[in-house]
Amino acid sequence: MIVALQVLVIAALAPLVQGTMKRLRANLQGRPGPSPFQPYRDLAKLLNKEALLPQGVSPIPLVAPGIALGVALTFAALLPIVTPNLAGRVVDVVALAFLLGLGRFVLALAALDTRSAFAGMAASREMTFSSLVEPALLLALLGGAVLGKGTQLSSLLDAPFGLAGMLAFAAFFLVILAETARVPVEDQETHYELTMIHEGLTLEYSGWQLAMLQSAADIRQLCFFVVAAMLLPGGTAIWPHLAWILGLMGAVTLVETLFAKLRLFEVPQLLTIAFVLATTSIVLRVLGVLA
Amino acid sequence: MLRLTGVVAMCLVAVLAAAVAVVGFRTHGGEISAGTLQGVVPALALTWAVTPLSTPFCALLAILATAVAIWCVRRGAPGDALLIAAFSAAMLLVLVARSVALFFLAWEAMSLISAFLVVTNHERRGVRRATFVYLVVAQTGAFCVLVALALLAFAAGDTSFAAIGAHAARLSSGLRDTVFVLALVGFGSKAGLMPLHFWLPRAHPVAPASASAMLSGVMLKVALFGLLVVTFELAAPGPSWWGIALVAIGAVSAVGGVLYALVDHDLKRLLAYHSVENVGIIAIGIGVALLARSAGIPSLAGLALIAALFHTVNHGIFKALLFLGAGTVAEVDGTVDLERLGGLWGELVWTAPFFLIGCAAITGLPPFNGFASEWLTFQSLIGGLSGGGLAATFVFIAAIAGLALTGGLAAACFVKVFGVVFLGRSRRPSPRLVMRERFDASALGVGLLAGLCIALGVFPMFAVVPLARVVMETLVVTALVPPSLPMLPATLAALPLAGALVCVVMAARRGVRHVPTWTCGSPVTAAAQYTATAFSKPLRTIFAFVLMPEQRRRYEMGSSHWFPKRILYRTESRYLVDEVARRLASAVLRFARRSRLVQSGSLRLYVAYSVGTLIVAIALAR
Repeated sequence: MIVALQVLVIAALAPLVQGTMKRLRANLQGRPGPSPFQPYRDLAKLLNKEALLPQGVSPIPLVAPGIALGVALTFAALLPIVTPNLAGRVVDVVALAFLLGLGRFVLALAALDTRSAFAGMAASREMTFSSLVEPALLLALLGGAVLGKGTQLSSLLDAPFGLAGMLAFAAFFLVILAETARVPVEDQETHYELTMIHEGLTLEYSGWQLAMLQSAADIRQLCFFVVAAMLLPGGTAIWPHLAWILGLMGAVTLVETLFAKLRLFEVPQLLTIAFVLATTSIVLRVLGVLA
Repeated sequence: MLRLTGVVAMCLVAVLAAAVAVVGFRTHGGEISAGTLQGVVPALALTWAVTPLSTPFCALLAILATAVAIWCVRRGAPGDALLIAAFSAAMLLVLVARSVALFFLAWEAMSLISAFLVVTNHERRGVRRATFVYLVVAQTGAFCVLVALALLAFAAGDTSFAAIGAHAARLSSGLRDTVFVLALVGFGSKAGLMPLHFWLPRAHPVAPASASAMLSGVMLKVALFGLLVVTFELAAPGPSWWGIALVAIGAVSAVGGVLYALVDHDLKRLLAYHSVENVGIIAIGIGVALLARSAGIPSLAGLALIAALFHTVNHGIFKALLFLGAGTVAEVDGTVDLERLGGLWGELVWTAPFFLIGCAAITGLPPFNGFASEWLTFQSLIGGLSGGGLAATFVFIAAIAGLALTGGLAAACFVKVFGVVFLGRSRRPSPRLVMRERFDASALGVGLLAGLCIALGVFPMFAVVPLARVVMETLVVTALVPPSLPMLPATLAALPLAGALVCVVMAARRGVRHVPTWTCGSPVTAAAQYTATAFSKPLRTIFAFVLMPEQRRRYEMGSSHWFPKRILYRTESRYLVDEVARRLASAVLRFARRSRLVQSGSLRLYVAYSVGTLIVAIALAR
């Protein structure tokens, strides 16, 4: 029951996190920016609107937003925040990677079904980059398992934070930039369909379906921040991690302000760096040096 | 009549295989000696028996033979079923063979009958060449298998597997390693492990779909069964490098197989490359089991072997599903070329959803069966990270990364396959008569396998508990299955399923309006859809160092240079193995041409050679 509360709180806070980052980015760029609460207004507006779908599609685009939201909510349920967390005990890091794959798979299929070239392009790029992200994501989160604490997310909490821990965090930070559609990989504020990846997948959605997708993206983003905060020192107490999450929001926004978007075929190099960092961290942990 | 005979024969084989599986599962340790035929020479004794290790393979054979038989009632050429029945019977014989002579006879029967299946459409271009390549590899592999088994039989002084197994502990390490390498080449080439996989993407696609289902679904697994028998019984226990080598080969096969699948646009060849990938995943499991056993971690060995056997069964099920689905597509649309297919969802109303389940299962998405076994493989790799020495650790880290990459690439590939073949609009230049599929025998055959994908995915313990017993009796260890496995698929899938239901309910209550796709104001055409080539283009570019793509562009100019009438774009991958083989062949040929100098055709020179040889021979003999 208490896990349901955790999911509700994360789902409720997720749009605020997105709104705050948007405002912060605007301010850093010298613009006033929208209110941090704007995402809630957007969601409320979209929920009351009619949903449109392309003609002649299969049922996949109809159910895809629900599946994506369900994946995001499951992710939120796994996080070891409240103590008796059954879902978190059952689902480990490996299963989490497969779970994220489920949402992606359905959204990409739905995009191909819309017959739009832009959606197809986005599906292709999303599947490309996600397949390169997956090794880095998994290896960055296996630090606890190497230390013999199992593969559950909670094993990350009290891992020592030496050089290996820093490398794992650095790798995961790059993973976050790719998974939450941030600047070196893609620009959320673009209006140019040719560069869209996550936005491109949702190009044909509207109304309550779009609201579901946006909410799913916000929840996923917050969950990624929580996991990243778990890779940083702070033990099992909740307050240091909250501070880390705020710091991460600032850091990601800063990266978005300071750097330009990479060319599409330079993104794999960034992801390779993430993979190398994660591998090095695992090797250091296994060897037991500088861990 | 021919079709009916074949279907009945296949059902009979299926019943027989199921009976063997049940008997094998009922035995507690050891083998039920069912019989021996003494030949003229004791070495040619034909012994057959049911062992616990063969039960998962027999069960798989029974399931797939049933499903393929049902599919054959409606589709495929009438003569196929009878040949497949014979092929299945040969495979069953391999699984129960317990002496060198019988094993080899059955193995050869399996190879030759499958060659007849491959050459079925011999009038088509390339089929006979593919069969030739297949036969060369099969016979080379069979030779290695025969030598390995003969070496073991000589060492033990008896040709029955029971006697060889009993003598295994006293083998010298050199002989043991020789046998392992020979078995790896012999069984590995049959199973499609890289780099000896090259016959597989040639042979599987040209066979009829029902035959491809059995080839990919069962025959590759029978080869892995042979490898298991040699490494875990006949030549056991092996040193740790066996396991490390298998994990490395498996990881290379997994990543390489899926990469080639990504750039392939022939549906059946693509599926064949995915067989290479999945056999690689199974080999990783076997490798971890071997390594863990030599390192003295029996619980990990048990877990890894369960993962390997579970993935064996799962891959058989969903690969047969996908091949049968591809067969239905080929019959309905007349092609398996991804660039010409599209929009079959509205037509194949039964096969398409089943095919989607197969795609999700092979990608390893929860809650389907591929997820459970891939998850177990990951668990065994992670468990083996610390405890096998430094070399093992590095290979395992690489294997984890490779397996993760494989998962991502497989997802990309099956999004491509399903999105291009079944979703969107048809890419045919000329429209054809569209008939809505009815629920017939072919849909039932595919649906049966789809149901199994769901059942084994949601309730993995139905398979894992019996497999744990098989492993316990094979390895004589208790396997430690992660306690979270029974709950895992349901936990992962509950909320996404609920979300999908919410969408359906919302759509029913509030309605969804269907409008034309927004394509920036231009008319929506089928040509504007993303194609399979376009979809895999980024990955083709990123992995150009492996795939070595070649592009050719041709412009047909219209009135001016700026307005081409047509642009033809072709891209092809070169295959690393083929390239190496070609270089090797040309080097051999060059050497042969050089050495032709000695063959001048002059009689006097040949006499001189003879005299020279004689002098050398006398000098040496003195």
